[in-house]
Amino acid sequence: MKFSIYRFNPDVDQKPYMQDYDVVLEDSDQMLLDALLRIKDLDDSLSLRKSCREGVCGSDSMNINGKNGLACITKLSDLEEPVVLRPMPGLPVIRDLVVDMTQFFENYNSVKPYLVNNDPPPETERLQSPEDRAKLDGLYECILCGACTTSCPSFWWNPDKFVGPAGLMQAYRFMVDSRDQDIDERLENLEAPDRLYRCHNIMNCVEVCPKKLNPSAAIAKIKDLKFEQAREHKSQAKKQIAIKSV
Amino acid sequence: MLIELLTKRYPGMRAWLTQRLSGLVMAIYCVIALIRFLVLQPNYYEAWVDFFQPWWWRLASLLFWMSLLIHAWLGMRDVFKDYVPNPNIRGVLVKLLVVVLWLYLAWATWLLLG
Repeated sequence: MKFSIYRFNPDVDQKPYMQDYDVVLEDSDQMLLDALLRIKDLDDSLSLRKSCREGVCGSDSMNINGKNGLACITKLSDLEEPVVLRPMPGLPVIRDLVVDMTQFFENYNSVKPYLVNNDPPPETERLQSPEDRAKLDGLYECILCGACTTSCPSFWWNPDKFVGPAGLMQAYRFMVDSRDQDIDERLENLEAPDRLYRCHNIMNCVEVCPKKLNPSAAIAKIKDLKFEQAREHKSQAKKQIAIKSV
Repeated sequence: MLIELLTKRYPGMRAWLTQRLSGLVMAIYCVIALIRFLVLQPNYYEAWVDFFQPWWWRLASLLFWMSLLIHAWLGMRDVFKDYVPNPNIRGVLVKLLVVVLWLYLAWATWLLLG
């Protein structure tokens, strides 16, 4: 099977180049990662990340024939030859298919991806009703592979400003968590013009998500929550005016 | 509530909502314009003059133009932010855009109400 793989070693190379490989695969080589490991047996200078090999850790996300995805759950039989592999776009390349994800995780951390609850901890655990728990479905499954965020042109052009689909989906995941008490702060945190509103709903994120999640819908729901917040502020302001007039 | 979201308290939502509201105004205008066009069928110069004769239609057309220019301002500002990384060149382009949009507004006002 033929491959064309992006190569760049900053210690040696002046600029990146594409290297062609033609490898003979075994019957057991079903996924793209299997083929990459076969190539790595032939050329151990090829760098890539991998860990779980079953689409859970998100380490081996890369650009496969022009579309971001996980090598470990991409079937070789679905790929056109030559298979063109590049690092995920929009992030600095460390070497070959390995990118520096610092910016991605900085953006993720900026939305406070953890529960904020100022009540004293209960003896056992903070319980949720099944209905409240169901609100987290389709959100908590994100594996932070970065495929969605690095498919997003708004992130390419403003990586330090636009949070990106993965971070925004996690922001929404905590906003709708019944155990969280920080929704107002979370919404304020996204109010700067470029943090949330750079999303123009082109839905690249939805198309590439290897877990079939829908960051675009989560982003739209954050905007809905913004409307709710404004409505509550208005009713609170009215109440305060009524109290003052009494 | 919509008014509150258009205040400085919500800078991101303000721009986003303004673009949607201006788009809505343009969409409504286009539907009415199409209906009027089909009903009146202005196929010569005097008919076009008559088409724009009612004061309410001229005001609606001006509202359409204002919405279009606001929509264009927000859209082009985003395009410049994305594709013109040099702040000096971007500043010049944004100023140029502001001048052009104001000229368009003045021209449209003169044509419709002058």
